[in-house]
Amino acid sequence: MKKVLIYYEQKQHKNSIELLAVARMIYGDDGTRKEGIEDYETYGVSFGPIEVEAECLFDFLIEVGDDSAPLEKRVEAHSQEQRKNNSPVYDALFLTSVLDELQQEYQFDCILFPATHMGRMLAPRLAMRLQTGLVADVTDIRRKDGVMEIVRPAFSGKLMAGILSRKAPLMMSVRQNVFSYAPDRLAETRRISHTPKTVCNGGIRLLEVREKEATGDIRDSDILISGGGGVMKDFKKLSELAVELNALVSASRKTVDHGIAPRSIQVGQSGKTVSPKLYMALGINGSIQHIEGLKHVEYMISVNTNQNAPICSISDIVVVGDAKEFINKLTEKIRKEKQI
Amino acid sequence: MKIICLIKFVPDVENFKYDYERNVLIRENVRMILNPDDACSVAFVLKIKEQHPDTVIELVTMAPQSIIPQLEDLLRLGVDHASLISDKAYVGSDTYVTSRILGRYLSEATFDCILTGTHTLDGDTSHVPAQIAELLGLSQLSNVVEIDEAAFCHESAVVMVDEELSYGKYEIPLPAVISLRKDRKYKLPYIKYAELSRDVKDRIQIIDNAQLGLATEQIGIGGSLTQISSTFVKSMEKKERRIVRNDEEGIDLVYSFLKERGFV
Ligand SMILES: Cc1cc2nc3c(=O)[nH]c(=O)nc-3n(C[C@H](O)[C@H](O)[C@H](O)COP(=O)(O)OP(=O)(O)OC[C@H]3O[C@@H](n4cnc5c(N)ncnc54)[C@H](O)[C@@H]3O)c2cc1C
Ligand SMILES: Nc1ncnc2c1ncn2[C@@H]1O[C@H](COP(=O)(O)O)[C@@H](O)[C@H]1O
Repeated sequence: MKKVLIYYEQKQHKNSIELLAVARMIYGDDGTRKEGIEDYETYGVSFGPIEVEAECLFDFLIEVGDDSAPLEKRVEAHSQEQRKNNSPVYDALFLTSVLDELQQEYQFDCILFPATHMGRMLAPRLAMRLQTGLVADVTDIRRKDGVMEIVRPAFSGKLMAGILSRKAPLMMSVRQNVFSYAPDRLAETRRISHTPKTVCNGGIRLLEVREKEATGDIRDSDILISGGGGVMKDFKKLSELAVELNALVSASRKTVDHGIAPRSIQVGQSGKTVSPKLYMALGINGSIQHIEGLKHVEYMISVNTNQNAPICSISDIVVVGDAKEFINKLTEKIRKEKQI
Repeated sequence: MKIICLIKFVPDVENFKYDYERNVLIRENVRMILNPDDACSVAFVLKIKEQHPDTVIELVTMAPQSIIPQLEDLLRLGVDHASLISDKAYVGSDTYVTSRILGRYLSEATFDCILTGTHTLDGDTSHVPAQIAELLGLSQLSNVVEIDEAAFCHESAVVMVDEELSYGKYEIPLPAVISLRKDRKYKLPYIKYAELSRDVKDRIQIIDNAQLGLATEQIGIGGSLTQISSTFVKSMEKKERRIVRNDEEGIDLVYSFLKERGFV
């Protein structure tokens, strides 16, 4: 029986669940579990409370905390202590020592992290502690001549690389929003509570949290109006069209590098991976690093002065011309039709 | 205060071409530049040194000796000295091995703080800073977009971390590893005219494996725990597309396309 440990973050529930798909690609027989033959089991580990939405997905859920008090009390105590006493749920040193403890106890064959801010700090630290290799930002698992290769972008995303990991446990951080998980059966989740034996921390103190303005996450939008180098001067115009289509505005890295668009709306290898139904690429060339961020896009419309730009070859409709002019005309057309 | 910046020189990737027909990477004439995140950390310490001239800055990089000219330019900006960790036996090291090599050097070094980038343009793994911190038993924070200059002292630093959904302000005891992420606040200055041709060679020390003494089976490709077994180009699926102009006909087509699929 193979054991897979998945680092579960409540705040990034969806990204944590995606890792179940990766576990299945690694150990699942033909991608699905066979009735009666359980060849691997999944353990989610969470620091802090786990809400019910994670139930029935993992075989086991490990909650780290002090198990002498009931759950609600623990949660409360946790957050109070956290404020007062810096109980270190944001301290990678503390988290690593707990994960190390769990590894000694359960001997996992594979440990997966979502490539979130914390996941990316934690995975390399744990890999070093366990003296094992780590593959970052995994985007695919494939088999070549029966050997499993872990796929990630390489050479600045110009190429994909298939990577072999030589030591156990197998460790990866997994690119967010690339995989999607549909359970083939509901798991009977068993909860385990784990009280850390050694509490060591680095003494980091959280002083203040500032929520970012909720401008909407481009990963949740059905329609994205995306702008690049070709509409940099008129980037604000994109939102006029976005409003009409009830869409969000996203951007290529070029506009982000020029300080015109915020990093949070960048699509691509070093930005976000998105899966909208409709992607409108205005003045975007379609570099590999940009395309890397497009998954499961149903329809694509591109507007470009150059019809040979790479983005055009993956579009349903290519409008050859100036993007600003296009925005004006289409916005006007939509408004006019609405009035009729 | 003594501050070490871990820096890496990376290929200027914008001008890094892939020959799709021959399936090879064209590496000739690729310029090496200082990784943008790392440039921010150097810019930050130079600012600190300006305010506190007794600050000592050391740059540490593991790289081939061919990057010495770039290192010299950084020394001309006011950096005190640089350590270049360089050995042919290190070629092909993965992040695990790279961290071990750098960690071996750093375990003998003195410092109050280590600054690094969050990720690099070429590797883009973010492994090295966290792994070095682990080897040295130190705390680490990545995605740091700001370090409070006034609060930066021997005992601790106050930093702002971009945590995706929110910003977190943390106090972190020193010594620690603080990993910056590129932000417009931190820009490298230009080299002063008088410094342009200054000879700074004596401020660079080159360290090889004879000095660090790692076993040969622990370094290079042989010591690496991950290995690239194949590279391939992701093929783009081509679509049957319609090409129109920005005229009435084109806009009408786009509009009906949106309408038929329920987008308007
Ligand atoms: C490690 C690494 C990671 C990267 N990650 C990302 C990433 O996450 N996301 C990303 O987007 N990029 C990323 N890049 C950068 C990427 O290589 C490209 O440089 C970038 O995507 C180019 O942006 P662009 O297409 O908007 O701009 P450009 O390359 O400048 O293209 C502009 C396009 O607009 C067209 N155009 C010009 N004028 C007009 C007009 N008036 N109307 C209509 N069209 C016009 C042009 O024909 C051209 O096709 C990364 C690069 C590296 C090295
Ligand atoms: N060879 C190296 N020499 C010195 N510092 C490095 C090296 N590789 C990585 N680093 C540091 O680690 C950071 C993250 O790099 P990476 O882990 O490659 O994404 C960089 O911004 C550097 O500060």
